[in-house]
Amino acid sequence: MIPYLVTVGCRRPDGRRWRLYIPVLLVLLVLSPLLLLAVLGGVVACLVTGVSPVGALRGAGQLLWALPGTRFELEYDRTAVQVSVR
Amino acid sequence: MNEQRRQILEMLAEGKITADEAERLIDALERDRPGSPPGVTSPTKSRPKYLRVVLNSAETSGGDGPTRINVRIPLQLLRAGVRLTSLIPPQALTKINQQLDKSGVPIDLAELRPQHLEDLIEQLDEVNIDMDDPDTKMQVFCE
Repeated sequence: MIPYLVTVGCRRPDGRRWRLYIPVLLVLLVLSPLLLLAVLGGVVACLVTGVSPVGALRGAGQLLWALPGTRFELEYDRTAVQVSVR
Repeated sequence: MNEQRRQILEMLAEGKITADEAERLIDALERDRPGSPPGVTSPTKSRPKYLRVVLNSAETSGGDGPTRINVRIPLQLLRAGVRLTSLIPPQALTKINQQLDKSGVPIDLAELRPQHLEDLIEQLDEVNIDMDDPDTKMQVFCE
């Protein structure tokens, strides 16, 4: 399943917190023209380096599909960062 | 040993049933039993889905505050990453091998098949690493 929400949270040393919710599908939709260009660039790079573009696209897709459930939390002293993919 | 199994074995010992019949009866008994006995691992045991790395470090004397790291990585993500290694161009592999050889690590990465790496990840299920230090505790395990 493709990730649908990425949450980025941060706690600053002064105690202030912020949390950012990134709806992945919406962002992909908005950035789709740029994404298309990036994919085309990637395909050209694959052809130049002799890598199978189909295999590379499949690999990138598998990575994207496997992302949900990933969580990273780091707390140091009074600072904290949290990234969660759902 | 439960009573029914004992009866089957007694019937076998008395020659009332053959070994094949006894085996079938015991199989049927095991199928009908609602739960497996303690200590026996069920073949349908749920497989771990995530690799966890947890680090807890207490406040040090140098003034550094406590540190806590909690990482959860889907094993599927590791598998997908490993599959990407098959896309490394052959010329890059040759260069990597040369540099490894120069550094005294004579490993031929071309011999490393994705299947081998996938087997390695399959075996991660059983990994459980605990590192204890007076100030730091680190755990790597699958859940």
